[in-house]
Order: sequence, then C-alpha cells, then structure tokens
Amino acid sequence: MDIFETPLPGVGVRYEFTAEGGDHIGVVVRRDGKRDLALYDREDPDACRGTVELSEGDSGKLADLLGGTNIIARLEDLRHTIVGLAIEWVTMPRSGGLVGRSLAEGRIRTVTSASVVAVIRGDQGIPGIEPSFIFEPGDVVLVMGSDEAVDRAAAILTG
Amino acid sequence: MDAATAPFTGLRVAVEGAHGGDTALVFIELGVVFLVLALLGRLAGRIGIPSIPLYLLAGLLMGDGGFIPISAGEEFLSIGAQIGIVLLLLLLGLEYSPDDLRVGMRTTWQAGLLDLALNATPGLLVGLMMGWSVTASVLLAGVTYISSSGIIARLLDDFDRVANRETPVILSLLVMEDIAMALFLPILAVMLVGATLLQGAIAAAIAIAIVAAAFLFAMRFSRQLSTVVHSHSRELLLLSVLGLAFLVAGLAEAVQVSAAVGAFLLGLTLSGNVADQLRSLMPPLRDVFGGIFFVFFGISIDPRDLWPVLLPALGLALVTAVTKIVTGVWAARRVGIGPKGQWRTGLSLIPRGEFSIVIAGLGVAAGAQPLLGPFAAAYVLTLAIVGSILMRYADHIPSPLKPPAPRSRSRTPV
Repeated sequence: MDIFETPLPGVGVRYEFTAEGGDHIGVVVRRDGKRDLALYDREDPDACRGTVELSEGDSGKLADLLGGTNIIARLEDLRHTIVGLAIEWVTMPRSGGLVGRSLAEGRIRTVTSASVVAVIRGDQGIPGIEPSFIFEPGDVVLVMGSDEAVDRAAAILTG
Repeated sequence: MDAATAPFTGLRVAVEGAHGGDTALVFIELGVVFLVLALLGRLAGRIGIPSIPLYLLAGLLMGDGGFIPISAGEEFLSIGAQIGIVLLLLLLGLEYSPDDLRVGMRTTWQAGLLDLALNATPGLLVGLMMGWSVTASVLLAGVTYISSSGIIARLLDDFDRVANRETPVILSLLVMEDIAMALFLPILAVMLVGATLLQGAIAAAIAIAIVAAAFLFAMRFSRQLSTVVHSHSRELLLLSVLGLAFLVAGLAEAVQVSAAVGAFLLGLTLSGNVADQLRSLMPPLRDVFGGIFFVFFGISIDPRDLWPVLLPALGLALVTAVTKIVTGVWAARRVGIGPKGQWRTGLSLIPRGEFSIVIAGLGVAAGAQPLLGPFAAAYVLTLAIVGSILMRYADHIPSPLKPPAPRSRSRTPV
C-alpha cells in the first residue's frame, strides 16, 4: 500500500492512500498539529465526501482505536518542546557498524552525548536498552540528542 | 447626512471647549470606527462573506463625502493603516516556510507565468486605454493580477476543501503570486518616484538584488535569527518581533524596496518554534490593524468618485474573473485533476482582496492617478464578494468543462 504525500503551502502536509475496499482516504496534518481526516468522493475523486477535524489528542485516541501506535506523534511533541532536539530512526545494516556487538562496546553516550532510547525489532518495540544489548541486522534504533550528536551516533551504529 | 453629522458637530463644540478636547474627539472617532468594524465583521460572518469588502465599504461611508466625518482620528488611522500593511505582509511571510516557496516555484512556475500573463495584462491594457500613465496602468495590472490569499485560504477552510486534491494547486499559485509581489513592489516603488527609464532600470535592478540577497539570507540564517528572537515570554517575543518588523520595514522603505517587502522577507526568515508561536499570537493584532488599513483606504476615497469608474471596473472584474478561471482550469488539468476539480480551482482564484488594495494604496499615497483608488475599491469590492460566492457554490454552478477523460495522476510516493 502506497501512501502519497503532498505539501500544502501555508497549511501543512496531506497524506492519502487507497483502502483495500477502494475508498480514497486522506489525512491533512496541519502545522499546529491538528489533523483533518478526509474521505474522498467516489464520483468526484478530487473532492471530499466529508472531513473530520481532529485535535492532537483526538488523533491519538483514534490511532489507538485503530490499533496503531502514536509514538511518532508524541516524539513530535517532544521536538516542539525542546529546541534543537533531534530524533532519528537508524536502521542497522546487514553487517558492520555495531551489528553483532553490544551497546556498551559502541560507547555512543560517552563519545557523542546522544542517547539510544529504544529499538524496534520486527514487530516488537524494546524500550530501555541495556548496555549489554546486542544489535541485530535490521534493528531500527531510536537515537536522541543534538543534531550533530545524532549524526555521529548514527555513524557509529551503521559503521 | 446632516442627521448623522449633527450629533458629532454638537459633540465637537462641547468637547473642544474642555481641556484636551482633541484627545476626546480622537477617542470618540476611533471608538465609532472600531465599533462599525465589529458590527460589519459580525454581519459578514452571518451572511458568510469575507469581512474585507465590508470594511472597505465602511471606509467609503466615512470621511469626505461620506456619512460619518472622520478628521481628528485621521492621523492615527493613517499610521495604523501603514502598520496594517506591515503586519499583513509579515504574517503572509510567516505563513510560508522557505521550503514552501521552493516547492511552489518548482512545481507551479508555468502556471504562475500563465497567471501573470492572463491576469495582469487586462489591468495594464484597461489602464492605458483610459489614458492613465504607464506607472498607474502597471499598478492596475498588479491589482487585477493578485488573488487574495487571505480570503481564499480562509474560505478553503470554511468550505472544508483543505483536503481536496485541487487545493495544493490553488495554494501553490497563491505562493507564486506572493513571490511575484515581493519582486513587483520594489520595482513599483522605483516607478512611483518617477525616475527615467534608465535610472528606473538601474534602481529596479538594485532593488531586486537587495530582495534576492535578503531572500538568500532568509533561507540561510533562518534558524539563527529565530533562535535569537525566541522567548518563552509572549510579551518579549511580541516586542522583539514588532521591533524587528518596524526596523526592517523602515530600512527597506529608506532604500526604496518598500516597507511591505521588508516585512514579508522578515516573515519568511522567521521559522520553526518562533513562527509557530507568532502564528497563534499575531493574527488578532494583524486583523485590527488590517481592518484599519481597509477602512483608511476607503476613507481616503470620496464615494462620489466611484460613479465614473464603476462601469470600467465592473467590466474589468468580469474579464479578470474569466482569466482567473482559465488559469485555474489549466493549472489543475496539468496535474491531472478532474473537470469538477478544475472548475473549483478556477472559481477559487477569483477573489481579490488585501494585496490588490496594498498595491493600489501605494499608488494613491504617491498620487499616481486620482481615479486609481476608487477604481481599485470598486473592483475589489465586486470580486471579493462575487468571488467568495462563486467559490462557495462552485459545485452547483454549471461548468462548461467536459466530463472526465482517462486521467493519470502524478504524485510522489513517500
């Protein structure tokens, strides 16, 4: 399933996809965090049959109901609160970098001041990464810190 | 008219005797002006049209030849109107990130050129046909060219069309027009000073170079400047930004780039957190001073001057409504929007508003052509109201466009 992204100058970004049943669904993410959920018209596919305006809280609830996770939205919140905070998802390569080695060996925290916060392995999210944690190929690692620190941490992780 | 002025004349006599009578009169006049605006704003909301045309109308009814005389408060209104322009443009710049401009320019420049050619030309020609000077005709071209991003963005939201597929086309065209205006205003400023062609060309080149340099500066140092201005105190943030805006506007005016462009570029430069905060903090301030600007523009026009320009203004409104529809249909068709969406795009571009008045206001202030003010007022009044109504009922207005042909969409996957 492809999600299409279109920038809306002065408003935000619109995402849309075609559901398996054939309906087109769109979400407008506004710059102030509000979302518009839109269902496109079958007769006139450029117009909406209806739209629902959702606050950030509403979108979180809806996402929970639909079975997703709103971790990304929460991270966005954090980014708004702390100026200059960079948050990056780093995907581990097949080999090299820290693959097959532990978090402690990488000395990321000491060298770069960035923190490894969580890892997503397969469908599972692993919070609270211990120093003895061993990275595997394909792990998605969540790193936080200043822009520069995150870049350097990513370099250590992926080699 | 007499019935309306009588109580005020009486008041004037009464208060002028007292100490500080002038202050009293200024307050009373401003009070009346603001209350009239508040009343009209409510009315506009009730009947579902934008408030700008009603503010203009209120201004026409005040001042010389109107029903409510405004004299003592005029000085404040005149400066307030200038502040209104600066705030309108500052907030316009804040609406867009430099990225929006880049994306807009890359995806829509052909449509932007068509927009310019189709919609500026009628204004230029009508100006020349009426025997106006080249400068005044170019001003009129600006008036007919630029759609009202304020009215249109607001109505897209009101009519729940933000998620529609044609909306990015509309918004990108508005962005292009705003960029064009940033280049157009300094050139205008030079023309208004009345330089010779060569002097004008040199000065215009310098003005554009300054704008381009400021633009690059905006793209490059946006983060640094935003960090410096940033403050958690709303008071300090507002003071810093207003101070910066007036300073930049003044400096820009001094080198003949026009205060409005300075404010616009400052708005573009501010980004991130600061821009987010300002977008929630400043609109009320802009709306108050913007309201003053529209009223003041109306006040400076004697409604009796409207009659001779009414017919050409209505004719030009009709022609430039059609040319905007053509622009919109073409731009929407290019990116694979269906006929109904093309029709909506065309109709949505018709409203003219604040920036047409800003451009005309520059000419009026410089005395370029006495009829420009009334002409622009009649033109904007018509298209702001008619355009909003056409936009609202776009889906119910029979469209001359043919039903769908096989379509292809070009969109970028994430």
